[in-house]
Amino acid sequence: MADAIDNERSIQALTEDKLGNSDLITDDDFVQVPLDTLASEKIDTPKYSYWGSVAKAFFSNKVTVLMLVLVVFILGMSFIQPLFSGYSLKDVSKINDLGARYNWPSSKYWFGTDQNGQSLFDAIWAGARTSISIGVIGTLITTTIGVIVGGIWGVSKRLDKVMLEVYNVISNVPSLLIIIVLSYTLGSGFWNLIFAMTCTSWLGTAYSIRVYVMMYRDREYNIASKTLGTPTFRVVTRNILPYLTSVIVTSASLSLSGFIDYEVFLSYVGVGLSQNVPSLGRLISTYSPYMTSYPYLFWLPVLTLALLTISLYVVGQNLADASDPRTHM
Amino acid sequence: MQTNPEIVLSLRDVAVTYGEGKNALTAVQHVNFDIHKGETFSLVGESGSGKSTIAKAVLGIHDTSSGVVNFEGAQINGKLPAKQRHALDRKIQMIFQDPAASLNERATVDYIISEGLYNYHLYDSEEDREKKVRQMMAEVGLLPEQLYRYPHEFSGGQRQRIGIARALIMQPDLVVCDEPISALDMSIRAQVLNLLKKFQEEEGLTYLFIAHDLSVVRYISDRIAVIRHGRIVEVAETEELFTHPIHPYTQALLSAVPVPDPQLAQHKQLIVYDPSMHHYETDKPSLVEILPGHFVWCNKAEEAKYRGELAGLAG
Repeated sequence: MADAIDNERSIQALTEDKLGNSDLITDDDFVQVPLDTLASEKIDTPKYSYWGSVAKAFFSNKVTVLMLVLVVFILGMSFIQPLFSGYSLKDVSKINDLGARYNWPSSKYWFGTDQNGQSLFDAIWAGARTSISIGVIGTLITTTIGVIVGGIWGVSKRLDKVMLEVYNVISNVPSLLIIIVLSYTLGSGFWNLIFAMTCTSWLGTAYSIRVYVMMYRDREYNIASKTLGTPTFRVVTRNILPYLTSVIVTSASLSLSGFIDYEVFLSYVGVGLSQNVPSLGRLISTYSPYMTSYPYLFWLPVLTLALLTISLYVVGQNLADASDPRTHM
Repeated sequence: MQTNPEIVLSLRDVAVTYGEGKNALTAVQHVNFDIHKGETFSLVGESGSGKSTIAKAVLGIHDTSSGVVNFEGAQINGKLPAKQRHALDRKIQMIFQDPAASLNERATVDYIISEGLYNYHLYDSEEDREKKVRQMMAEVGLLPEQLYRYPHEFSGGQRQRIGIARALIMQPDLVVCDEPISALDMSIRAQVLNLLKKFQEEEGLTYLFIAHDLSVVRYISDRIAVIRHGRIVEVAETEELFTHPIHPYTQALLSAVPVPDPQLAQHKQLIVYDPSMHHYETDKPSLVEILPGHFVWCNKAEEAKYRGELAGLAG
């Protein structure tokens, strides 16, 4: 490169010199520059890094960053605040202390107190912790099983025949029905509820992964891998699944808020968690009679739930968009 | 056919059929040819004539519906034991037409070129593998600092050279080149062709070259097979085929080659091929050796006619 610049300079000097003497351009004005074949191979663009570009695309959106801050705040409060508040649903020590009951939100009780004299602020974070845990664990299970099964399903013709029938049968039964029936039969409890919710939900993820795997399976670069002797397992894990990052993130972000909603609904109708476990659904269910008399008791848990699911959804969707390399240009 | 040179690949009455029952479509049939060690054998024909189908049948990507494909003396079509198939995959490599579609966009050049090495464990240690990859990159004219870059950062010619590098690092015996330059810019076609020639001289590689550009085919091949509608109509050595085409389709094909001289081009005679000129209803055709090493798809009557014409030329 340095040679090329030197050459350019000497040419410039020569040209100026000659032009001073006469306006004619002769052969002497030109200098032969040797062809550098290696220089033409050089790539001058900065190195591409997939995850670096994902982060850049993700953080370039201000709304996403705001929502991410909100998610981090809610997560932090739900998992740290209950450690100090010592909130327990069964604590009725202040039930006869009339001064502690039904306080509207104030500087002393930020979110007010309920009929048992318990602080709603403590209740909301303890409840959110349970709801978020259910959402995260459920999503992890659904996505992991869904991706593994979907990956095999997409390349195995024999499995495809069986799985398609299983999928057709189960997807035609309302999933809420399956969850409620399973919750009743298994009895209430945190892990029982997670089992009931994830028992069939992975089928949906697996099916969408199967469709994408089939789409990518016969692309030319996979045939190329086959001619290089790459086993099918590695074709799926190295060649196909990396292309599905954004699909997987989208489905995970949808199921995360979906599971939280399910938990709220199930607790509201009275199935799922045991009586001593606080959750956003249980709070909303317990305080719904106070919707007109003490509206803060009902609306603050609902607002927390709405903020949580919306922020998780927006962050998830934007992460999915950012993980699609077509947005990196 | 000639028995003197070592035959690497031979196809006998190969047919490939897509679909089943009513929807069955026979893409190629009655395919017969031998490829000798160290030569470049080209398949030419128009789009949809079945060139790529033959290549895929050789690679085992498509199943053959009848006939025998022999590679180094052993039959390779039909069901093979997994181990034998795996060993065979290393020996037959492929260079693809579209370098953009045939490289994994989510993998670095390092992984793409090493992919085959990993699969067959063709290296002693991690350093040895990297050394081999760097050496191969230098041989195809890529820079060592490009090792950890992604395919989309390269130009078309560079990508095709990555494709060549990953195929040739396997030290194959036969390389199937499926129109390796037709997706490339005019200015870099020669570069890739010369690279292929260089490797052939150095390593004694055998190429099955597929193209529709006749000037390219003439430049690179030793022998040529002309294919039309899934049938091989003529096989001959390159210069023999270009100077004495016998089958009317070959004559028509060659007459369509552009001449880079306007005055000559004005006087050029275009030959139009009419498939209805053949009468194969009762007198069935087959691949006949008209001259030593020169085969034509014809029936008895045509054979007599062609021989008559040849005798006329000689006399």
